[in-house]
Amino acid sequence: MSIFVAAVGFGIASGAVIALASLGFTLQFGLSNTLNIAYGGFITLATFLGYGLIQLGLGPWPVMAVIAVATGILSVLYYRLFIRSLIRRSVGLGPLAIATAAALIFIEYAVVAVAGTDVKSYGLTSGRTFRLWYITWSGTQVTIIVLALALMLAFQLLLRMTQLGRALRATAVNRTLARSCGIRAERVTSTAWLISGLLCGIAGVALAMTTQAFDFNIGSNFLILVIAAAVVGGIGEPYGAMAGGFVIGITTELSAAYWSPAYSDVIAFGLLIVILLIRPTGILGGQARRRNVVT
Amino acid sequence: MIAAWGLNLQYGVAGVLNFGYIANLALGAYCYGVLTLGPDSGNGGFQSYIIGLHLPPVLAILAATAAGCLFGGLVSLIGMKRLRPDYQAIVLLVVAIVALTIVEADGGLFGGNAGLALIPNPVGGTGPATANGWVYVAIVAAVCAAGYLVLRRFSDGPLGRSLRAVRDDDRAALAIGKNVVGLRILVQVVGGGFAALSGAMLAGFIGAWSPSAWQFAETLSLLTAVIVGGMASNPGAVAGALLVPVIFEQATQYVPGLSSRPELAGDVGWMATAVLTIMFIWSRPQGILPDRRPRYGPAARRRTRFSLAPLAPARAQDGAPLRATPAPVGMRRDPVPAAAGGQAGTASAVPPGAPLLTVSGLTVRFGGVHALDAVSLETAAGTVTGLIGPNGAGKSTFVNVVSGFLRPESGRVIFNGRDITRDPPHRRAQAGLVRTFQLSRQFGRLTAIENLLVARQRHPAESLAGVLAGLRYWRAAEEENVARARGLLAAFEMSDKADEPASNLSGGERRMLELMRALMADPTMLVLDEPLAGLSPRWSARFEEAVSRLREQGLSFLLIEHELGIIERLCESVVVMARGRVLSIGTMAELRTQREVQEAYVAG
Repeated sequence: MSIFVAAVGFGIASGAVIALASLGFTLQFGLSNTLNIAYGGFITLATFLGYGLIQLGLGPWPVMAVIAVATGILSVLYYRLFIRSLIRRSVGLGPLAIATAAALIFIEYAVVAVAGTDVKSYGLTSGRTFRLWYITWSGTQVTIIVLALALMLAFQLLLRMTQLGRALRATAVNRTLARSCGIRAERVTSTAWLISGLLCGIAGVALAMTTQAFDFNIGSNFLILVIAAAVVGGIGEPYGAMAGGFVIGITTELSAAYWSPAYSDVIAFGLLIVILLIRPTGILGGQARRRNVVT
Repeated sequence: MIAAWGLNLQYGVAGVLNFGYIANLALGAYCYGVLTLGPDSGNGGFQSYIIGLHLPPVLAILAATAAGCLFGGLVSLIGMKRLRPDYQAIVLLVVAIVALTIVEADGGLFGGNAGLALIPNPVGGTGPATANGWVYVAIVAAVCAAGYLVLRRFSDGPLGRSLRAVRDDDRAALAIGKNVVGLRILVQVVGGGFAALSGAMLAGFIGAWSPSAWQFAETLSLLTAVIVGGMASNPGAVAGALLVPVIFEQATQYVPGLSSRPELAGDVGWMATAVLTIMFIWSRPQGILPDRRPRYGPAARRRTRFSLAPLAPARAQDGAPLRATPAPVGMRRDPVPAAAGGQAGTASAVPPGAPLLTVSGLTVRFGGVHALDAVSLETAAGTVTGLIGPNGAGKSTFVNVVSGFLRPESGRVIFNGRDITRDPPHRRAQAGLVRTFQLSRQFGRLTAIENLLVARQRHPAESLAGVLAGLRYWRAAEEENVARARGLLAAFEMSDKADEPASNLSGGERRMLELMRALMADPTMLVLDEPLAGLSPRWSARFEEAVSRLREQGLSFLLIEHELGIIERLCESVVVMARGRVLSIGTMAELRTQREVQEAYVAG
């Protein structure tokens, strides 16, 4: 029992980060109908840029804020200059996916070129530990969990209660109809990419803060978990992404505890495959069906 | 090169984007290694192998290829729920990653992270094959040549045509009886085999293999080769396979300051490959050597091997029957060369006048809305039945259910004496129930005549026997097929467009092409979903004439239209639908007098 609860605790901590990243990923899908594989590259970018800033002496939390903004801006630029142009050229879904994958490779190897392939670490001390029942969390983890929950709550409020949120939902569901209602779909989409970039940056830094060490593969490794979370929850659905993040986080930790750490990811992916077989649209899968992800 | 061909078959020809392709390659490599290593091959004993079979290399290569085929097949079963291409690609990638993780973690069988070493090469001895250089090159060349011959059976000819059709529009392919899922599994199996073969060859050549050699980046570089070289074209894949490594090398030579940091070379090379891929997707997605479609038109002079484009130009045949003479009642189709170059059509087991299509109690709900509410109707063989109703009445939904693209919640569909309620769309088409689409669909990257040729039912080239036996087996059937397609094109005055890619045709031409394609599929009954939309009056008249003539030849129709004039002139019986229900059935004259019908149209 104690193992179970402890594992769940770890799962909540890692799940929080996955949920944030997954939310960003699913936003990009929802607004632009793109499975942006380069998202992993942005994660890597965020962690490494953060590393650079940490080396310069900044504290981890200011770094997170700075990187979030930086990734947000980069994300919008990426959308405007790259994704949008490809979509406008009607390249097709397959080629678009390949292009984003190529972008991922580009970013990753650019990072390698600058920073090398050796393992890096933020080198943070773990600070205080919190114990709740059988759960053990470090101070950093607690802050991240709280931050993640706060951000998710803020996002929910944004979606439900603000003009922008309504515009986001409308554009995601039916772009043409949204435009004929006076919504500036392009502006809304760019904002969505900005938000997703922010989330991506925060998640990237948080990831580096909670891992011992990382290398240039961190983004692509994490990306698979992010995609799994998004798909399990129902691609395109923000609530699904958030729930999916925690599901994947907890599942991974449980399998690491009960089976073997080496196989922890495999269980999560197994779950993904099972979901794809039984209910490919995910738990909350409205958008997936609408976008013809599964016909 | 072999790997590029396999990937080209999967993605270029069949449109299956497989990001996990590299796993097949690795599987081949591992199999070969595992099978050829003996129990005593551990170097210094710290790597020992559970399966130390020490098989001779040839056997190992064959086994590796077979394993690759099997793996490809298994993987494809997971991804085959009609997913869109990018989603499917990711699913396949995840599977590959699962495989990778398992391999890395499990030290026993596959050597874990360190991989396998000292794999014997096919020529003898261990270690890299450079010492036996020329012999190895000869072996590889022989394998490539053999591989190419096998590849052609799948990527060229009628089977290749069907695969491309599935790539271009899988719904339209289903509607003419192509087993889309089956074909996609097929290319995964074959492509997987190719990948494994190349992996096995590589392992033998290099003498070692480890997980670091098969990351996602490798799949991407293969994709780059396919895209840059030429999608769906085998020479293109060769070009790509040769060019991409070259570009990799060249890029690294020109980066300034590289000599001081030699380890950068690989990284810059990858970045260059990525940029190259993006550039080609952007500006020239068909690649350097595009897929050249065979030409059949009157101007075609060259006969390409697998395409049988005849040497003499065809003469337009006046008054040629639009469909082939039907076989005697009760006989299933058999290729019978008839004088007009046709073949036996699908005969109905049902005599003229008797019910051909019986639909009872069909109900479909979308959320809370009844798109179809206990719809029942019947059409008689040899007649034209009209289906009319205001927009939103459920007519297209009805067509989708009858043709198998949508599952009803309840109800039955009986066609030609058989209950087809559970049949998938391609089976219904094969049984003779062929539909067209409201927004006309075509196979854009195939030429017009190929769009027709692909509709031939049960082409011998697409059977197992056909693949094994090759051109000789199906030559006659194909020639007959071509003649019939040309006859159709001539009858509809579109012979000059025979070799145009279908995406270049005008709207009206596409509609006629879709109709012709449906005819080529030997239908017993044609379900036409608003076929006149977008046709000029002249074409509409020809269309009406064609339907009339076809009815005389025994073909039945279900015609959904808004243009009530043609309905009145052609249809013996008309069904009116509104708001998901059948309002009334009768002749146009009768219906005109009924108030509910009038109100339905006004009120909507």
